[in-house]
Amino acid sequence: MTRTKVKLTYISNDSARKATFKKRRKGLMKKVSELSTLCDVQACAIIYSPYDSQPELWPSPLGVQRVLAQFKTMPEMEQSKKMVNQESFLRQRIAKANEQLKKQRKENREKEMTRVMFQSLMGKSQLHGLSMVDLNDLGWLIDQNLKEIDNRMKNLNEQDSKSQVQLQPTTLPVAAATVPERGVERQQGFELNNNVGMAVQRQQQPFFMDMMNVPQDHQQQQMAGIGGGYEMNMLPFAADQCQINAIWSNSSFYP
Amino acid sequence: MARKSKGRQKVEMVKMANESNLQVTFSKRRSGLFKKASELCTLCGAEVGIIVFSPGRKVFSFGHPSVEAVIDRFLSRNPSNHHLHPTSGTMQLIEAHRNATVRELNTELTQVMNQLEVEKKRGDQLNQMKRVSQAQCWWEGPVDEMEMPQLDQLKSSLEDLKKNVSKQADRVLILNTTNPSSHYFVGSSSHQPVIPNVGFNGNHHVMPPHPLPHLDGWNHPAYGHFF
Repeated sequence: MTRTKVKLTYISNDSARKATFKKRRKGLMKKVSELSTLCDVQACAIIYSPYDSQPELWPSPLGVQRVLAQFKTMPEMEQSKKMVNQESFLRQRIAKANEQLKKQRKENREKEMTRVMFQSLMGKSQLHGLSMVDLNDLGWLIDQNLKEIDNRMKNLNEQDSKSQVQLQPTTLPVAAATVPERGVERQQGFELNNNVGMAVQRQQQPFFMDMMNVPQDHQQQQMAGIGGGYEMNMLPFAADQCQINAIWSNSSFYP
Repeated sequence: MARKSKGRQKVEMVKMANESNLQVTFSKRRSGLFKKASELCTLCGAEVGIIVFSPGRKVFSFGHPSVEAVIDRFLSRNPSNHHLHPTSGTMQLIEAHRNATVRELNTELTQVMNQLEVEKKRGDQLNQMKRVSQAQCWWEGPVDEMEMPQLDQLKSSLEDLKKNVSKQADRVLILNTTNPSSHYFVGSSSHQPVIPNVGFNGNHHVMPPHPLPHLDGWNHPAYGHFF
């Protein structure tokens, strides 16, 4: 393992080049040998140095001749199918690297966009900085998430009908509590996202942060009395919604 | 600690027992072998020929300047040095051209590999950020672990967000229509990525491969600043 990355250019310094050559030639022979042993395959290597007209051979002069003979008995097409020289080998490697790069970029972009989505939910992220392409992708991502949610909801409903657990009494109060408020804070949430004035956001943020930093178990203790063990943490889409959530959790609203 | 792969560990030099591992090993090591051979040629100006038969009876070969040239040189056993210094002017020209191409390709490969490393690091960074935020925000966690009330909340929040995104998209569209120097055609950017970045929903858009501005706390762009 090299400590420094080696630059892939011809080594102009004669002695350095000769030293590198000796080392690398030895290493190459070792690698051929290992490949041949580990995978139980026939192989040979011929290395001509700039310093010697005699090549270095693996496994041996006779061994090389044997493999060459075997090679030549193969049909021309088979010989050339997997044959490469430096140029073609490099092109292959570049192609593969480009594929990996494309894939990684795509993954990263999705991850970034997911971040944008969640930050927007918190009112933290401006949609103004996004291009049309970004907005399209964001929209698509939101749809994907909505699909997942619908699936999960479906699963839960199926489970419910199977196990015949009466969830209705406890969910109804939730709906009742949120429905009247939704209309109100949706507007505020809307403004939160689209308000260019940073001042407004800054006011809300510390409030959010407070809400969000409430430790999990604290909330769960509050919830314990409610039954069902739901984790009713806030989704701070709008400041007021947080407030409302906090109110419910403290009230003895549930029997 | 159990290792995922046997890298930096000693491997016994005997035929591998597991058939599929053997195949994988062959594939990886053959590729690595050719890479080393290629490097030897570039760095030291060596001429190399390698022939390897695969477990599946296919044959792989690497040669510089070509497999045939090296084999011929070996078989002819010509004691003269004419291979080292091609006498014909044409041959010299051809070889010079070939070397130049190889140099360019090596440069290109290095560039792509560097970009790949950058993207991988970015990917790790994003994963880390996600881990942190998932610990703090339940709604970023797996939907499969959520219960109904949470799902309801999350769903309505997302639906609202979607509306906002739509509105913003309309705004952008109008702005573009009224402003002819359309900033959002990224193709004119001077920072062209090596390959076009595909919008991950399958639409083909050329995107600059840098992170979205507001995530990095850049000043909120005047509309065109992003590019």
